[in-house]
Amino acid sequence: MNAISITGLVKSYGKVAALRGIDLTVPQGTIYGVVGPNGAGKTTLIKTLVGVVRPTSGTARVLELDPLNDKWALRKQIGYMPQDAALYETLSARDNITFLGRAQSVEGLDQKVSEVIAFTELVSRARDPIHTFSGGMKKRVSLACALIHQPKVLFLDEPTAAVDPQLRARSWELFRKLAQGGTTLFISTHLMDEAALCDKVTILNQGKILLVDSPRDILNRGKTRLSVTSRDQCSQTEIESTPEAIAQKLHEFGLPNDISSVEVEPSTLEEIVLEIIREEPQ
Amino acid sequence: MKHSLVIGQRVLRELSKDKRLFGLSIVGPFILIYFLKIFIDSMPPYFPAARYAVPFAAFIVHFFSFILCGIVLVEERTAGTLERMFIAGFSRTAIIGGYVFGYFGLATLQATVVLGETLWLLDLDYGGTTLLLLFVTIVMLSIVSVMLGILASTFARHAGHILPFIPLVMIPSIFLSGLLIDPEQLPTWAEWIGMLLPFRYANNIIQELIGSTFEASVVYRNLLILAGYICALLIIASRTLKEAD
Repeated sequence: MNAISITGLVKSYGKVAALRGIDLTVPQGTIYGVVGPNGAGKTTLIKTLVGVVRPTSGTARVLELDPLNDKWALRKQIGYMPQDAALYETLSARDNITFLGRAQSVEGLDQKVSEVIAFTELVSRARDPIHTFSGGMKKRVSLACALIHQPKVLFLDEPTAAVDPQLRARSWELFRKLAQGGTTLFISTHLMDEAALCDKVTILNQGKILLVDSPRDILNRGKTRLSVTSRDQCSQTEIESTPEAIAQKLHEFGLPNDISSVEVEPSTLEEIVLEIIREEPQ
Repeated sequence: MKHSLVIGQRVLRELSKDKRLFGLSIVGPFILIYFLKIFIDSMPPYFPAARYAVPFAAFIVHFFSFILCGIVLVEERTAGTLERMFIAGFSRTAIIGGYVFGYFGLATLQATVVLGETLWLLDLDYGGTTLLLLFVTIVMLSIVSVMLGILASTFARHAGHILPFIPLVMIPSIFLSGLLIDPEQLPTWAEWIGMLLPFRYANNIIQELIGSTFEASVVYRNLLILAGYICALLIIASRTLKEAD
């Protein structure tokens, strides 16, 4: 069963078209990324799926339910983490999570609150007021609020924007853990390295889908600039980004023919920075 | 009902943690009543202090409840917490009910402080029934104010947008509701506008109660009108509080 299915979804605000005929399906248990620049329609798409934006035309189904007409049944099964933290600043993290948990009449709420606090690593700050938290910590509280009723589908609107690389990496570990537990994650982002961590990615621009594919296949659409220097002679060429294409090109430079694919995966700057931080004695 | 209590509890908890806001919403009316006493002291001895002071005390609670609720609800909207409440499963009626419960607590405290201070500073003495009815009137008026605040917040995109509602909703009450002059002395059209303002009915009750004897039917009729305002505003507010754009 698909967790989300959308057909011909259009949303217009007067003359401005925010979504222009979106079609997509999201299988259950996947991390699905919606990538696009600011104003691409990512937030409008998420808000339509959680039932706070009324589509102009088209249909959207989440867990086979209509976000507007079946809102009471649906809201028990979805979690939503907005772009801004959307928390009560004078209340503690625990109070914020408890308040939203009460909306869903979660059984054994105190225990569940403690569990999500532990899961999002907020134990030491759980009783502090939100206004004393950093932006990244607020995002974690916001995630905990979205998780309190153990939703089947989780909508995360730019969950790690303006979050430091360490916390971002930790957040993605949590997302992966949730997906492994069967939760479907629908994540919007404008960070391309983050999109690479999704199972499937949709590229959205000006309210239209440009491409739906796995991050690996999207990367394969790119070109690799290959420079080979032999006896002070440099040869530069642009080839397809597939490991097979690289091996084929290197055969011309003496790579044995039995090597059929070559893949080079250098660390990203973010990975290197994180490694340096990890190595620093506390 | 259960959800309304959950929201009301949260509103009260927020207010109690926000010591500055909480302090100002109690200290503000307290200071204004003292200014009123200074003004009344400067009047000739035959000036009917109670006729102006008690309705003015009620107006202060009316004004503060409206402003506070309107601004806090606009902040809920701009911070995204209102949207989050909807998505989490709170209904529109539960949210409005929650705000009424929350501000009912604050309004009760405000009414106690303001009424107590007015009676003490101006040395006014009323019987138990009169005091109880005065208190009920002020609290009911504050519930109307909360509803008006919710209604105003639906037309505001940020907290500053609440300010134009002050001259639109609050200030006419001073001139057209019988606080300063008898509404019968107003031009007919102004009297009609005054009849639309809930403060007029609160003032009718107060003027009746502070007289030497009071006609219970007049008091209960006006209390019933205030209750009608609460019901009507509840329906309008629950329809205008938009859940989906």
